[in-house]
Amino acid sequence: MQQLNPAEISDIIKSRIEGLDVKSEAQNEGTIVGVSDGIVRVHGLAEAQYGEMIEFDGSLYGMALNLERDSVGVVVLGDYEGLSEGMTARCTGRILEVPTGPELLGRVVDSLGNPVDGKGPLNASASSPIEKVAPGVIARQSVDQPVQIGLKCIDALVPIGRGQRELIIGDRQIGKTAVAIDAIINQKNSGIKCIYVAIGQKMSTIATIVRTLEENGALEYTTVVAASASDPAPLQFISPYSGCAMGEYFRDHGEDALVIYDDLTKQAWAYRQISLLLKRPPGREAYPGDVFYLHSRLLERAARVNAKYVEEYTNGEVKGKTGSLTALPIIETQGGDVSAFVPTNVISITDGQIFLETDNFNSGLRPAMSPGISVSRVGGSAQVPYMKKLSGGVKQALAAYRELAAFSQFASDLDDATRRQLDRGARVTELMKQKQFSPMTVSEMGAVLFAANEGYLEDVPVDKILDFEQAFLSYMRAEHGDFMSGVDESGDYNDEIVETLNQAITKFKETQTY
Amino acid sequence: MELATLARPYAIAAFKAAKEADKLASWSKMLSVLSAASGHERVSLLLESPEFPADVKAHRLAEVCGDELDAPGKLFLQALAEHNRLPLLPEVLLQFELLKAKEEESLDVEMVSAFELTQEQSEEIKTVLKARFNKKISVEAKVDKGLIGGAIIRAGDLVIDGSARGKLTKLAETLTRN
Repeated sequence: MQQLNPAEISDIIKSRIEGLDVKSEAQNEGTIVGVSDGIVRVHGLAEAQYGEMIEFDGSLYGMALNLERDSVGVVVLGDYEGLSEGMTARCTGRILEVPTGPELLGRVVDSLGNPVDGKGPLNASASSPIEKVAPGVIARQSVDQPVQIGLKCIDALVPIGRGQRELIIGDRQIGKTAVAIDAIINQKNSGIKCIYVAIGQKMSTIATIVRTLEENGALEYTTVVAASASDPAPLQFISPYSGCAMGEYFRDHGEDALVIYDDLTKQAWAYRQISLLLKRPPGREAYPGDVFYLHSRLLERAARVNAKYVEEYTNGEVKGKTGSLTALPIIETQGGDVSAFVPTNVISITDGQIFLETDNFNSGLRPAMSPGISVSRVGGSAQVPYMKKLSGGVKQALAAYRELAAFSQFASDLDDATRRQLDRGARVTELMKQKQFSPMTVSEMGAVLFAANEGYLEDVPVDKILDFEQAFLSYMRAEHGDFMSGVDESGDYNDEIVETLNQAITKFKETQTY
Repeated sequence: MELATLARPYAIAAFKAAKEADKLASWSKMLSVLSAASGHERVSLLLESPEFPADVKAHRLAEVCGDELDAPGKLFLQALAEHNRLPLLPEVLLQFELLKAKEEESLDVEMVSAFELTQEQSEEIKTVLKARFNKKISVEAKVDKGLIGGAIIRAGDLVIDGSARGKLTKLAETLTRN
């Protein structure tokens, strides 16, 4: 609890009073004629705009979503139990806004930007409407800077760039959130600000995530937007847009940000609930007709904008820097069915997907990514040269392994070449496993992939691969610390580096300490 | 469905007929009488009863109104009865008055003040409102001590809250907000 001294208290109140605009403005008023299930019908309010904030008695707000001839359908952003027929509703003339700015980092807020972590008021420097038009074609720049997730399978096989949208899709309890959290933890030194939007999750889960981020030193550059399962559907529906608006602040000021929507399936459910209660006609799977637009307008706002846009937006304050907002939406499938309605919608919107499969998870491959059907449409352009060179070999090994997977049962009857491919593939697959909360740097990932590509792992038994990796990396950190940090900084790949790696691995293998 | 939406077609029809015959005022009076009559307990029982056919209801209601109803009025009543919309008469009156006000460019303003206004103050307010809305203003003044000071002006949907009570409520909300 903050400790205030008495003088501060009266100062605070004084500033609040002075900040109050007591000018009486003309407002549009209407009367509530019906309240049910979080939807309020208001008679009057002829001047209401779509998506406008409607104010009720007691500082309660709603959003006007159904504009009819003689009434307005308003979804209440909060607890509607205190509202009754005959009460007044007023137009505010403002479209729904949330606070934005660097003051939000390190905080946990709700969908409307109100802090819920008990650390005092936000005092945010700016605010922004939650619904904004995405930057146009001219304002954009192609994605060529990497976002390092810190997971080998992703950074090598489906690399993500700053400004890309990459979908994380899989069944329940398969590690989707784990991938997202690892991504956040790895941004400690990258300068990317993170926003984690928790939609419809249990409050205990959200609390655990916040604590995990705090323990790993990641909370100080992250904002958590929490719309838990007990929050009313309208708040769950708008929470991704609020998170996006907060991320756009950084994008528009020439910085980089990462926003994670966990998960959009629950947002689609909340939107379906609201639409059905507003008597909008249901379509496929009872979703409203514009459920595609629900996600497309959200994800289009994740982009890389060029320096000219940033300069114009900041009125010349920030020059020569591009901004980006990377989105990692998460979708939960039922029974691995990626051809259901909402999953196919979001797959077609994003620039690639990371498929997590139950079979992989159950057989111990965690992260349970399936390299065959996971893809990043930005791919190599978002990799540093070091990673780009080294990941090619891994991709080929895994692709060949998949082709021959059926033959692995006849291992003894195969010719040498096939058996070597199978061995290699099994080792690379084993190498792709990684523990939670242990992100790896570019140099570490590269060193390990180099070992795999050049065949140094052929004589290591499959079940010892991870021990080898651990021991090898400690050796590299101890003996070649400067080399490793040099590679991290430059990302280059040249003959000198190849030579250093070759020598290092050979020496390490001689020590036999794995 | 909203009553206003149901009543609007009838109000528009009545308004058009009134305008063509240049009888806006008399139609307005007729509709007020009909509305008042249909609101009476016994009459409304009759109107809502499924026992009687439409033309009987229209006939009875016309009898109640007597001379106030002219021939077009009686036909209007029959049209309403045929579609089972007699209980809508008060809402039809409301919509008709809105259309009439728009046509005559007049505006009904309700002003609630904390203290009785002097003649001078009333005139001043009327002038300002006329300049703001650019219409003929007819002010209905009320007094409500609960406002503590100032006044609230209501014109249709628009509300201008200049009362002390309103300002205090706003202040309270600002101070208690997070």
